[in-house]
Amino acid sequence: MTGLAIDITGAAKTYRGKVRALRGVDMRVHRGEVFGLLGPNGAGKSTLVKILMTVIRPTKCRGTMLGRPVGEKKTLARVGYLPEHHRFPGYLKGWQVLDFYGAMAGVPRRERKKRTGELLELVGMGEWRNKRIKQYSKGMRQRVGLAQALMNDPELVLLDEPTDGVDPVGRRDIRGICQRLKDEGRTVFINSHLLSELEMVCDRVAILVQGEVARQGTIDELTAGQRYYAVDLADAASAGEIAGAVGGRFDRGVRVEGATIVLPTTEPARVQPVIDEIRKRGETIVSVRLRKPSLEDLFMQAVTDPTTGDVLTPGAAGAGKADKGNKRGRP
Amino acid sequence: MIVRQTAALLVDAYRELNAKKLFWITMLLSGVIVLVMAALGIDKDGVSFLGWDLSFIPINSDTLKPDVFYKTLFSNLGIGVWLSWAATILALISTAGTIPDLISGGAIETLLSKPISRIRLFLTKYAAGLLFVALQVFVFSLGSFLVFGLRAGLWEPALFLAVPIVVVFFSYLFCVCALIGLLTRSTITSLLVTILFWFMLFILNAGDATLTQFRTMHEMMIDKEQARIELMEKNTAKVLREQRERDGEPVEGWTPTHDEIIAANPFLRTIADRQQRREKDLQELRFWSDLVYGIKTTLPKTNETIALLERNLIDLSDLPMPSGETQDISIEDDDVQIDPGELSKAVQEKFRSRPVWWVVGTSLGFEAFVLGVCCLIFARRDF
Repeated sequence: MTGLAIDITGAAKTYRGKVRALRGVDMRVHRGEVFGLLGPNGAGKSTLVKILMTVIRPTKCRGTMLGRPVGEKKTLARVGYLPEHHRFPGYLKGWQVLDFYGAMAGVPRRERKKRTGELLELVGMGEWRNKRIKQYSKGMRQRVGLAQALMNDPELVLLDEPTDGVDPVGRRDIRGICQRLKDEGRTVFINSHLLSELEMVCDRVAILVQGEVARQGTIDELTAGQRYYAVDLADAASAGEIAGAVGGRFDRGVRVEGATIVLPTTEPARVQPVIDEIRKRGETIVSVRLRKPSLEDLFMQAVTDPTTGDVLTPGAAGAGKADKGNKRGRP
Repeated sequence: MIVRQTAALLVDAYRELNAKKLFWITMLLSGVIVLVMAALGIDKDGVSFLGWDLSFIPINSDTLKPDVFYKTLFSNLGIGVWLSWAATILALISTAGTIPDLISGGAIETLLSKPISRIRLFLTKYAAGLLFVALQVFVFSLGSFLVFGLRAGLWEPALFLAVPIVVVFFSYLFCVCALIGLLTRSTITSLLVTILFWFMLFILNAGDATLTQFRTMHEMMIDKEQARIELMEKNTAKVLREQRERDGEPVEGWTPTHDEIIAANPFLRTIADRQQRREKDLQELRFWSDLVYGIKTTLPKTNETIALLERNLIDLSDLPMPSGETQDISIEDDDVQIDPGELSKAVQEKFRSRPVWWVVGTSLGFEAFVLGVCCLIFARRDF
């Protein structure tokens, strides 16, 4: 299947009291990809997801989800959603949660019966199917929540902080499930704080800051022009001296980080004279690597004010106001 | 899809009830009430409980037929006291959390993300909240139906009318509970406000009953006094005619004037003045009574709705009249006396004459209005 799973323009949300949670978000998510949405607390990530899931009514939003206008209830039968801090009724057993939400998503009884068993096994909760939710740990509830989101065999899955409260084994499992969903041709939209998790699984990301998309694209696209060579020395003492000696060869200068000399180039030929210089001085080279910024680096760049160097205040509204979700303890 | 989702919400509501201890406690108490009714019997010697004579209850099968006895028991004790008071309070405690739980953070997001319209979701959840009462009343009616049938040969399907009647009665309160729950998100607040609202209706009903009783009493007294005045006038006229005849004056075609009658019998003037005062009082009572009736028209009629069951089950003529030993009642400084049995029957007739469309229709109108407001709030709110 081709085309866009999510294509929205100008999504805006202003809560009562003039709190602006979103200030015109444009976002495109391709079918069959794993898309990551990241941003600091109060940036409007959950608000955006809730608008897509009709939980919140946007002040303004044009666009489509799975080819249908955003806000159309019928489309939700083809979408799976794991809300952040979800709470299932404690009196339900694991299989009953899946059966109930499956029925609410319009899944026929026979199919629900079949998928309940399969999905509980998939998320590693098969043995807990007959135990009540109130006996589950947070991680277990998260696993059942994920299974619930998949009950209707969705084309698009939106996961809001899916690894929240999940142990490392669980996180690996969830990453595996996301990969599997992608392999099956489904679109996965992940909203998360855990940048390393997203980096491992996402094809494309968007960074939301103060209600606006600061960056959007593949990690390669976002890091283009920011790659560099790093030469690690055994002894940090001479790194500054060597950097001074070779600095004139690079327009943007050479940086020193401890025992590492950072060279602003992606061309191996330009690194060779630097290596020669180090050898000439009898210093030991530990490694020479072509490096790119991590997602965390990109994130920090996006949330840092370029003029002052200060990290931007949380929330989309500015003036110290957190968004509505934040007021309730939710980002 | 609609059937599937509705069924899922109803099954979920049942699972929720099943998990609540209060539901089963209420069910157990209902069983106890049915057993108590089964243990009561009536014959020519009077009322008995498990074979022991309860001689202090002054009725027997001659004054009250056994089937009417059981119907009255069901209507007054089972429905009038148990289901419409005690069980209703337990039901409110159990269900007050329905809407606050529905809209609580973490729960509502998952439901709203499903392909179901907000209004349908809210109304189905609301209807599912009535399941508590529907199940309770159904089991209670079924138990009563079997007990009365086996105990007194009274196989009365009309007992099952209690199910819609009590559910409708409960829904008047539950809609207020839902609205407050939606506005405040608090179970305790919605429960307390609903009980306060119910108490207000109780006061209004008590006021209505008192005013109707006084109004009926005045009307009866005025009628009675009017009959006495007419009789006295007739007698006085007869005496005047006889006197005229004795005086040798022609009486053919002659009738005394009202003034002549009053002049001949000054007591008539006193009575007429008192009658006038009564009429003035009645006019004032009518105003207040009509005002309360008007206010009640816009609000749920809890008492009258429950009384519909008795109206359908028991004919007024089957009910025993209060015994003659009861003292007649009258207003201070008034010598016209009213039989309390007649007054009670007249008041009951008055209440029974209120049309069903007024009792249920306008109450449901109130409920529809409240639910409309709820739907508007629920459909427009961000969660």
